[in-house]
Amino acid sequence: MPDSAVEIRNVFKRFADHVAVRDLSLSVPAGSVYGLLGPNGAGKTTTIRMILDILAPDEGTIRIFGQPNVGEKITDRIGYLPEERGLYRKMQVRRVLRFLAELKGVSGPVAERRITEWMERFGLRTPEKDWGLAKVDDLSRGMQQKVQFIGTLLHDPELVILDEPFSGLDPINAQALKDTVVELKRRGRTVIFSTHLMDSAERLCDSVCIIARGEKVLDGSVEGVKQTRGGVHVALALDGAVPTAVGAVLADRALVRRVDDSNRFFEVEMTDGSDPQALLRRLVDAGAAIRRFEQVQPSLHQIFLQTVGATGVEEGMTGHG
Amino acid sequence: MGKLMVVIKREYLERVRTRWFVIGTVLGPIFFSGLLFVPPWLARREAPSAQIANIEVLDATGRGLGARFRTALRQRLMDAKVPPTGNTDVRVLSVLEVPAAESAAAGRIIRKQVQGYLVLDSGAVSGNSARYVGRNASSIGDVDRMTSALRETVLAMRLEREGLNPARIDSLTRQRLTLSTERMDERGRGGSGRSTIIFAFAIAFLLYMSIVLYGQAVLRGVLEEKSSRVAEVVLSSIKPSTLLAGKVIGVGAVGLTQQVVWVIATMYIGSYAAPLLRPEAEGLPAGAGGGAGAAIASTLPDISIGTIALILGFFLLGYTLYSSLYAAMGSTVNSEQEAQQALTPVLLLIISSVILIQPVMLNPSSPLSHAVSLIPFSAPILMPLRMSLIQVSSLEIAASVAGLVLTCVLTIWLAARIYRVGLLMYGKRPSYRELARWIAYRG
Repeated sequence: MPDSAVEIRNVFKRFADHVAVRDLSLSVPAGSVYGLLGPNGAGKTTTIRMILDILAPDEGTIRIFGQPNVGEKITDRIGYLPEERGLYRKMQVRRVLRFLAELKGVSGPVAERRITEWMERFGLRTPEKDWGLAKVDDLSRGMQQKVQFIGTLLHDPELVILDEPFSGLDPINAQALKDTVVELKRRGRTVIFSTHLMDSAERLCDSVCIIARGEKVLDGSVEGVKQTRGGVHVALALDGAVPTAVGAVLADRALVRRVDDSNRFFEVEMTDGSDPQALLRRLVDAGAAIRRFEQVQPSLHQIFLQTVGATGVEEGMTGHG
Repeated sequence: MGKLMVVIKREYLERVRTRWFVIGTVLGPIFFSGLLFVPPWLARREAPSAQIANIEVLDATGRGLGARFRTALRQRLMDAKVPPTGNTDVRVLSVLEVPAAESAAAGRIIRKQVQGYLVLDSGAVSGNSARYVGRNASSIGDVDRMTSALRETVLAMRLEREGLNPARIDSLTRQRLTLSTERMDERGRGGSGRSTIIFAFAIAFLLYMSIVLYGQAVLRGVLEEKSSRVAEVVLSSIKPSTLLAGKVIGVGAVGLTQQVVWVIATMYIGSYAAPLLRPEAEGLPAGAGGGAGAAIASTLPDISIGTIALILGFFLLGYTLYSSLYAAMGSTVNSEQEAQQALTPVLLLIISSVILIQPVMLNPSSPLSHAVSLIPFSAPILMPLRMSLIQVSSLEIAASVAGLVLTCVLTIWLAARIYRVGLLMYGKRPSYRELARWIAYRG
């Protein structure tokens, strides 16, 4: 197997009134969990649709497992969970799943066996109740999401692409999804997912690519990204109300470049060459009740805010462009 | 090919399983066998009923016109091989007694003792007027028979007064002439007139209905996939053209299944129900019941297997043409309401074919009829209509089919390109300019 599961080179995609993707190049290492990060309207969904050959790029090439991404041979190896989920509402759950599996070239009996396995695993088939015989419409939203996820994995794809998988999931389903992603990676599968939730990306991803306004801002392994976007970061937690003097220290631009104030928790980015110890001394002098003071690597969230900035979110763009 | 089959299978099975399919399939044959029996029923109304003789004649002429009428009527029924049941009761009375006799006769009609009564007075003798009141007054056949019997009787009486020998009069005035009608034009014979027209109209109307119904089904299917967002999952596995083709073929197969069931069941019901159409033939010599049987036979005009295959071919081409348009339009909209607006141009095309059914039926050989059976958008309905009315030259049929096939190919290509973009495009309905741009998108 080649090193890259997906290799995108100099891809452009233009629509009538805007450029959705501009000169995008990225490489998804095989067997990794890869995060495609960006604000709404950044071109994540368009990129994913181009990988899946639902849309064709105007320029550039996309290769999957070293081959051009066209034809059944390649698309049968990919599982896709779109952001906007949907199933045939009036169909029986089991028939929908079998249809999705057969579309990926899985034979009937194999599909039936796997459907049973997955439904049992996700609690949709218990000795008391088999939801497989119900209509999609009769299922709760959470159950429909599970069914859709099962549909993505029935053909045991080598590459799984999840577009905003966590949006709209309750904590229990989100946990089940996360567990499955981890298990897929353990079995050597490649998982790409797009999200704008940096916390889940930071915990799950081996590598990331941040895009904004259709362009790549940075990419690489999560560790590498954190190192190159280095700077010295401090995680700071305070007790009680923040005295004015403490606020003044944090606002000192000679010492502190940026502060992300989450009320009781602060992520502080130091200016180049300044010493965290100096910050600690001044905070103590200012009378801060410090519960935690720790020199840390910048969070993906901070890097995202730094690189994309507030302007990265363009008005009026949707994820469907 | 395998994945196309997967799509076709889903479209087919999910539709065949619905309640509406089952109801439609069961009700269809009942409706169509009704249609099949209207012409013989009409024909039967034109034949005299046996009950026609079971009437009262109130003869106030004082010249025995009533008795002579009875003889003429019975003779007429013998000639038509419809043996009369019941007796024609002639009451000779004065003009003053007529009102009382009429109300007595009316009572007997209500008690179903007689079919009706005929009032003959001086008006009848002078050849001007007579009056009939009865249950069968709306039966064309019965009234025709009575009128002509009465005319003959009056004529005979007049001739007798002029001094002609009654026996001579009888042989001179009695005639069994029947006028049988058959269509013919410069291309030759084409079945018997009335039944051919009804059959042709039924064919054209069925074609129109099927194309609209199954086109709508395709549209709803596309809309469902788009609005439920399932389209994107499906498109990650197959090309939009495969999905479109699978849908059109799947729905078409459902239509074909339904129609095959309809035809077979209608023929089955027909073969059982046919004898019920001639109850008056029971217990009579075989020849006597022949009239109604022949009427049924004549409702199925002389249509060859080749013509049926051609008509089926026109249905499939017309369905393909229109359903791909319906699918393309369905992919550009987000709701049923929007769909009705977007469909207007397509509906105009198909409804104009329906409006043209009448002019084509009136004159299937006119230049207009030639033209519209060659235009691909009206040909699927109007060419089969012409073909079941008259002999259309094979050259013309070939030209019509060729034009239709070419248009189909073009339409499918255009529809696939609109469908491909439209399926993932939400928001405002595109203008025609935007549609043109969609068609031009690469990929």
